Amino acid sequence: MGLDVASHIWRATEFGSPVSTTISSGWEALNKQLPGAGWPCQSLTEILSPQPSVCEWRLIGHALRQVVSNGSQVIVIAPPKHPHLPGLAHEGLDQRHLVWIQPKGPAERLWVTEQMIRSNSAGAVVAWLPQARQEQIRRLQFSAQGCDGLVFLFRPESAQDEASAAPLRLLATFGVDWELRVQVFKRKGPICEGVLVLPSVPGGLSCVLTPRIRRPSLMIVTQENSYVVGSVAPQAQPERLATH
Amino acid sequence: MLWVALLLKPNPNDSPPTDALCGLATWCLQFGPHVAIVESAVVMEVEQSARLFGGKRKLLERVRDESPDLGVDALSWAPTSLAALALARARIRSGFGKPLETLLDALPLASISAVQAHAPTLERMGCLTLGQVRAIPRGGISRRFDADLLYAMDRAYGVRPEAHAWVAPTDSFQGRLELMARVEYAPAILFGARRLLLQLCGWLAARRAGVTAFTLKWCHDVLRSKTAGDGGELTVRTAEATRNLEHLVRLLAEHLAKVQLLAPVGDLELIADEVHPLQEKSMALLPDPKASGESLALVLERIAARLGPECVLRPVLQEDHRLEWQTHWQPAAAPQPRKMVLPHGMPQPSFVLPEPLRLAVKVNRPLYQGPLMLLSGPHRVEGGWWDRVTDASGTTTRIVIRDYWVALSGHAGVLWIFQTRLADDDTAWWLHGIFA
Repeated sequence: MGLDVASHIWRATEFGSPVSTTISSGWEALNKQLPGAGWPCQSLTEILSPQPSVCEWRLIGHALRQVVSNGSQVIVIAPPKHPHLPGLAHEGLDQRHLVWIQPKGPAERLWVTEQMIRSNSAGAVVAWLPQARQEQIRRLQFSAQGCDGLVFLFRPESAQDEASAAPLRLLATFGVDWELRVQVFKRKGPICEGVLVLPSVPGGLSCVLTPRIRRPSLMIVTQENSYVVGSVAPQAQPERLATH
Repeated sequence: MLWVALLLKPNPNDSPPTDALCGLATWCLQFGPHVAIVESAVVMEVEQSARLFGGKRKLLERVRDESPDLGVDALSWAPTSLAALALARARIRSGFGKPLETLLDALPLASISAVQAHAPTLERMGCLTLGQVRAIPRGGISRRFDADLLYAMDRAYGVRPEAHAWVAPTDSFQGRLELMARVEYAPAILFGARRLLLQLCGWLAARRAGVTAFTLKWCHDVLRSKTAGDGGELTVRTAEATRNLEHLVRLLAEHLAKVQLLAPVGDLELIADEVHPLQEKSMALLPDPKASGESLALVLERIAARLGPECVLRPVLQEDHRLEWQTHWQPAAAPQPRKMVLPHGMPQPSFVLPEPLRLAVKVNRPLYQGPLMLLSGPHRVEGGWWDRVTDASGTTTRIVIRDYWVALSGHAGVLWIFQTRLADDDTAWWLHGIFA
């Protein structure tokens, strides 16, 4: 009897019980911080980044690989640059399982995203919505509850201060030493503090990395020093001439 | 026997037009083969199809919910066709609540046409309801009135068997509709077109088929400018054979939104161009997991109808080392080549710029949001001498000689940049892709 009661007590430090199925993100450290140990289906996942097209595919690539291996389709809506299939093939995508929809303008983007989510026919919907407003996100989240696939929305970092109906929100930036820095600032569960550092080498580059360029941060320091020395001299000369 | 009678809304001008009646009969054919047109109404026998539609109650609910869209005014069901028709005229829904004799006896003479023909005589005799007519000795009636009266009464009460000339489904579908009012805006046609599509879906269901192309034609009103012409037409195609009404209506709506009418429209005509047999959905106990939701092809088709086919794309890999021509994006509806090219497994960026972006150079180092650090390279791509294109400016060869490098920027991530020779001994750096 005592055991039975204990199993029904929820402490605020624990995750809420996951209401939907999840797909693993590929990193043990990130899975630990996500409710249900993975990206949630039937709900929105909002990923904010200071600059678009820097680390999107690296972050969700592992999940997309599983979606494709299940035979489902990945729909890409309004990416900031043209997707390149040979690079995406390293993330497990192939030409039979990828559709690129390029709407013109923010209203059409939202319409297409909503249609795709409502139809519940894709394994993953990946949309870039730089201009979406709160009530529009809420509408998408409402539709997403009936969608069995993953829904990723990419938005700019400035959206962090706005309220959003998405139950899971992350801030993702890229780190120089082949890593992603992820901050989970909204989730169903206790507040997650600190930045997760996830190792990630994009686009099949791991086979060409030498031990030296596995730590570019060390090289940057040395290069910047030499850069300072080299650049001051030509600027200083004309000043000296003027004083004469 | 379960007979359903459907009465059309009375037309203010004349008797119900035959187009609407034939369309209604065509729509009814999806519920079973026993459909007949009787006295400007449609009757059908559906007891045998009840199980296919999930029971009598569900079948009748479906007929009740869908038929008003076709202009049906009154609907009744009863054990015989004439009784159903009589009840429909008296606006009584069900003929199964009480014994049929009780229900019919209370109806006025006008309920059955053969009785209505002798109404003046019968009324002078003091007969105002069918029950009073039935109370008169049969011998007297058969001598004084024609044989039709007794025959019709007997059929209505189920004493004698009924015989009907069944409506047969036609080989091709052609539905016509005269609009209630002149329509000046194309999207407003949709209201009338929906009724025609409903008939089309009924016809397709009767033939166990689906449509891949249909044409909507419209005739301009008589009072039109000379330049407008007789009318216009719109052919809508769909990738998969379907008889899903909602999909066809949405598809037509997207296409109609782009049409501009030259003159007010009075008549509509719908023709099924390409009809293919359709595999029936399995009625298995365990639902098929794939069947839930709308199919992806249908959604993409609807999106392509609004945005244009060049906005919904699927990739096809090409055997080429030049970055621009490695992936060919084609409309999603176009067929994929049978032979699939496999990716070569070399490092490649996941985003490319539509046009390479020329980078500024400072102290021999390329700049993009700050100085770039070259990590790995060069990766020489050289080729394209065979690729000649001719345009207005003349023939050019799309030859590229580039040294690709993996570069690292503190802000913009891992980049795929290249260095190429210019006219004199100069070189230039270009940004071409991002390892995002």
